[in-house]
Amino acid sequence: MSTSTIRERLEEIRRQALEALSQSLEPAQVESVRVRVLGRNGELTELIRSLRSLPEHERPVVGQLANQLKRELEERIEALARELRRRRIEQSLAQPALDVTLPGMEFGRGRIHPLTQITGQILEIWTAMGFEVALTPDIEDDFHNFGALNFPPDHPAREMQDTFFLEGGRLLRTHTSNGQIRVMERRRPPLAVVCPGTCYRRDELSVRYSPMFSQLEGFMVDDFGKVTMAHLKGTLTEFLRAFFGPEADVRFRASFFPFTEPSAETDVRCIFCKGAGCRVCKQSGWIEILGCGMIHPNVLRAVGYDPQKHAGFAFGMGLERLALIRLGVEDMRLFFENDLRFLAQF
Amino acid sequence: MRLPVSWLREFIPVVPAPEQIAERLSLAGLEVETIDRIRPAFSGVVVAKVLRVERHPNADRLTVCEVDAGPRGQFRVVCGAPNVRPGMMSALALVGARLAPPKSANRTDDELGAPVGAAVIRGVESQGMLCSERELGLSDDHSGIITLDDTASPGDDLATILFLDDHVLDVAVTPNRGDCLSILGLAREVAALFGLRLKRPRLRARLPHRSRGEVADRVQDDAPISVEISAPDLCPRYAALAMDGVTIGRSALWLRRRLMLCGMRPINNVVDVTNYVMLEMGQPLHAFDLDRLRDARIVVRRAGQDRELETLDHVRRMLDPDDLVIADGRGPVALAGVMGGLESEVSDSTKRILLESAFFEPRTIARTSRRFGLVSEASYRFERGVDPKGQVDALVRASVLMRELAGGREMGKLIDVDVRRFVEPEIEVSLERVEGLLGVKLSAAEVARRLKGLGINVKHKKGGRIIASIPSFRLDLREEADLVEEIARLNGFSDVPAVRCRPLREITVEDRRRQVTDTLRACLVGCGLFEVATLAFASAEQNRSFAGLAGSDAIRIINPLSTEFGELRRSLIPGLVATLRFNLNREAQACHVFEIGKVFYLEAGELKEAQRLGILSYGELALGKLGERRPQADFFTAKGMVETCLTSLGLANKVDFVRDPAHCVSWLHPGRQARLSLEADRLLGYIGELHPELASELDLDDRPVVVCELDLEQLIAYGSLRRNVVPPPRFPSVRRDLALVVDRDVPVGQVQKVVAQAGEGLMLESVELFDVYEGASLPAGKKSVALSCRYRAKDRTLTDAEVNQIHAQLAAQAVRQLGATLR
Repeated sequence: MSTSTIRERLEEIRRQALEALSQSLEPAQVESVRVRVLGRNGELTELIRSLRSLPEHERPVVGQLANQLKRELEERIEALARELRRRRIEQSLAQPALDVTLPGMEFGRGRIHPLTQITGQILEIWTAMGFEVALTPDIEDDFHNFGALNFPPDHPAREMQDTFFLEGGRLLRTHTSNGQIRVMERRRPPLAVVCPGTCYRRDELSVRYSPMFSQLEGFMVDDFGKVTMAHLKGTLTEFLRAFFGPEADVRFRASFFPFTEPSAETDVRCIFCKGAGCRVCKQSGWIEILGCGMIHPNVLRAVGYDPQKHAGFAFGMGLERLALIRLGVEDMRLFFENDLRFLAQF
Repeated sequence: MRLPVSWLREFIPVVPAPEQIAERLSLAGLEVETIDRIRPAFSGVVVAKVLRVERHPNADRLTVCEVDAGPRGQFRVVCGAPNVRPGMMSALALVGARLAPPKSANRTDDELGAPVGAAVIRGVESQGMLCSERELGLSDDHSGIITLDDTASPGDDLATILFLDDHVLDVAVTPNRGDCLSILGLAREVAALFGLRLKRPRLRARLPHRSRGEVADRVQDDAPISVEISAPDLCPRYAALAMDGVTIGRSALWLRRRLMLCGMRPINNVVDVTNYVMLEMGQPLHAFDLDRLRDARIVVRRAGQDRELETLDHVRRMLDPDDLVIADGRGPVALAGVMGGLESEVSDSTKRILLESAFFEPRTIARTSRRFGLVSEASYRFERGVDPKGQVDALVRASVLMRELAGGREMGKLIDVDVRRFVEPEIEVSLERVEGLLGVKLSAAEVARRLKGLGINVKHKKGGRIIASIPSFRLDLREEADLVEEIARLNGFSDVPAVRCRPLREITVEDRRRQVTDTLRACLVGCGLFEVATLAFASAEQNRSFAGLAGSDAIRIINPLSTEFGELRRSLIPGLVATLRFNLNREAQACHVFEIGKVFYLEAGELKEAQRLGILSYGELALGKLGERRPQADFFTAKGMVETCLTSLGLANKVDFVRDPAHCVSWLHPGRQARLSLEADRLLGYIGELHPELASELDLDDRPVVVCELDLEQLIAYGSLRRNVVPPPRFPSVRRDLALVVDRDVPVGQVQKVVAQAGEGLMLESVELFDVYEGASLPAGKKSVALSCRYRAKDRTLTDAEVNQIHAQLAAQAVRQLGATLR
């Protein structure tokens, strides 16, 4: 190649490149020009590489020209790229502002069943207070559901709980109190345990009752004198304030359960009317929350503990009831009908 | 158990207010479920004695009576009743009295009829009127005027003596407290609760009676019938009393009233008296027609070979050999403690009766009652255990009432076969055990005082031990723990302190914080975000560029690892942007992340730290199928994530997304950002696309990077995990669409708000946006906002016409307020 052809070639590369750049509106176009001309196999790169074959005395002159052109094009390309980017930003900024009040995209988030949620919250409180969680079977025998819990045969207390009986003489537990027996008969004090679970009673599904419902049984057993009714009150008050809020007002009323003595029921000052009396608390100002008491000596004997040496408290609460109170609704059926309009509210 | 306060007064003359009684009983373990207010359906009616009865001069069917109303004076009244007789006690409505309007029920209806006036009836002036039960709303009986027995005195207020102005407490008696299934039992409890004296029931006549300790199989001397117990394990005691000269009839009005107040139906005077005594003293009684009992024998035994008995309810019962029955010389005449037999039932012609008062073992009654599915007032009490020493007192009480109300006389002595000879059990209580169970120290004197208040006798022994002797009516008290409950229950355990168990810890504010943050995490993960953890350090330049939500300056580190980490971060955003950059450099095509972490700042010279929630979202969202275009992150997809979080904390309606050109966040796109304001004026955070300058530095393509930073402290403080749940509606909704053309710069949120407000009180349930349109078919500078309005009534299905009218009303108001036109 002669020097003159090289000069012509350089001139041609320059003209074509500048023309291509002048027509470039997008950074991508600029980039393609750069690759075509200045890339590793670009026109100008190739040309500069070919200069090596020129006679030595001719090289400096054309080499300088070629490098000049390379610098010129590099600067042009960079300036143009900067300019295009600036223009793009300006364009973006010049767009009309968004109406930020338009709704966001719906994510169609699924929901965890409200009972699962509330049970989780309740278990979290108990475990935070140092109770362990134990799970016990739904299918029980008479001993664990009644006998060991001091329900004598034919005792009217059994009528408080209408039982489903299964073939083979077994039954569906009517309360989670079987958990006390199941845990205590294989372990020794000290114990602080909660047992959540499903219970069954022969009630039609209605506003107030369900044939299947959830309870949480809890108990604590230690050496006699270490766990008293005072601890029971302290522990339950702590739980109820954690669950209903620190302002919750708690009271205890004497009551009767075969498996506790003394027995009490625990009420919370109505969270809807603050005690003034409303429909939910049936004008009493208090809402009944749970049953509790000191474990009956006969129950301790049934699991082989000596009531002279050990004592403990136990409590049981209906989880649906707690959930309904927390949610401020009254209909037990909501939990089992699974109306999506209900579930979507959680 | 229903407890009329008027009846309670017979045992405790001055009782506290019904509400107070209810409160204390409930705390002590006898929950009072309701208090019924009983009101008479009349006023101004008094007891009057008829002195003279004369024919009315001008009417055959009428009489003119001279009546004496004691201190109220004597009156002359005209009467049309066929049963008016001189000497009878009846009810006189004085002039000015007001009677029940026709058909009114006697308890709920507060409205009374017009006042009775002095009237001239066929020429004779009547100063008031003598009343029938129906006229006073007491029953449907209008056959004659009321007959009162002579326990009433002339001038007494009728409403008072018939217990028509009363409160009835409905007490839920737990299965262990059979002793409280009577007025006496509840009165004992009330007396103990308030420290009042209990007046013992009046047993005016003590009857001569004899008792036998052994199984009696001989005819008792002069009694007209013999009693024999051949199943002493099931029936340790059987007492009986024969009476003759009984006239069966209707019971006195006051007695019928009391039975009804307690929820029982009056039958006849003999049966009513047995029920009355049961309600009063808790001992079920049964009355046999003595002349229907064969061979003058009563045998208490197992049914054995006898297979059948027809009970009072006309049902033939197939007996189990182990069922306890009362038999006469030939066969069963009653299902013991559950229901009497039809054959020996007291009838209108009965002249001689045998009253039974027994103690049956609870278990046998429970078993029989359950097998037959037959629960009677008697079986209910026997199952729960009656007072084993109460049989004779109840018979004596019944005989007194029978004499007064049914005209009977005792035949021979009262028979009392008492096999077991009940002895009051003794239980030892130690103060140490009391404290060990209750967690409160009580003195021996205090323990004794409380037990005595409940009728439990105590003896003190050495070493803080107390021997309690349990009265026969409290057989539920079996061991020490039972007595511990008695000591503590009367005041609802209020002197037991609330003490935290040593190894257990307090539930603190931190637990609540964690609940809130866990909820947020669950939401964001549900939206497809990854949780990230970035370092809390930042460069001075980052802190300058990304000012956080609070504070004026960043906190510098004295000995930083490097200048790049020279300060503590003021915002989570730089860390999230660095995360994006890091992943893009490693071929990531998208990045959706969040972080819950702390930021640090100086505020008035103090070093502060606070928690923030940061979100960064870039690139395509993982939704959609292969080959389908997936949505790309932009302002509105990120807003959707934030809205999901706000909803989960119950804040969706309390937070506004506001465009505020005056307070732009400098590093966000000025036209694509919003501040989140909580309850109108609190700054909760901001959301927006990164400023294009910043994005171009990151060397990204055209797709936006959206970031959001929220003040977690406020989310915790104002958010709620409580749900105000609305039960799903029962009636269908009706949907109507509304398209409003408004100026382009009117925010859609405002349009929605105005429409929602216009719909208040119009059964508008919700307003949902379904389209926003700008284009050729609209005038320049306008847009069309299409809303779907849902209407629903709580109590019915809305009609089309109704909804059309409401919707038109709503549309008109929205158009007016927004300066819009309908499209």
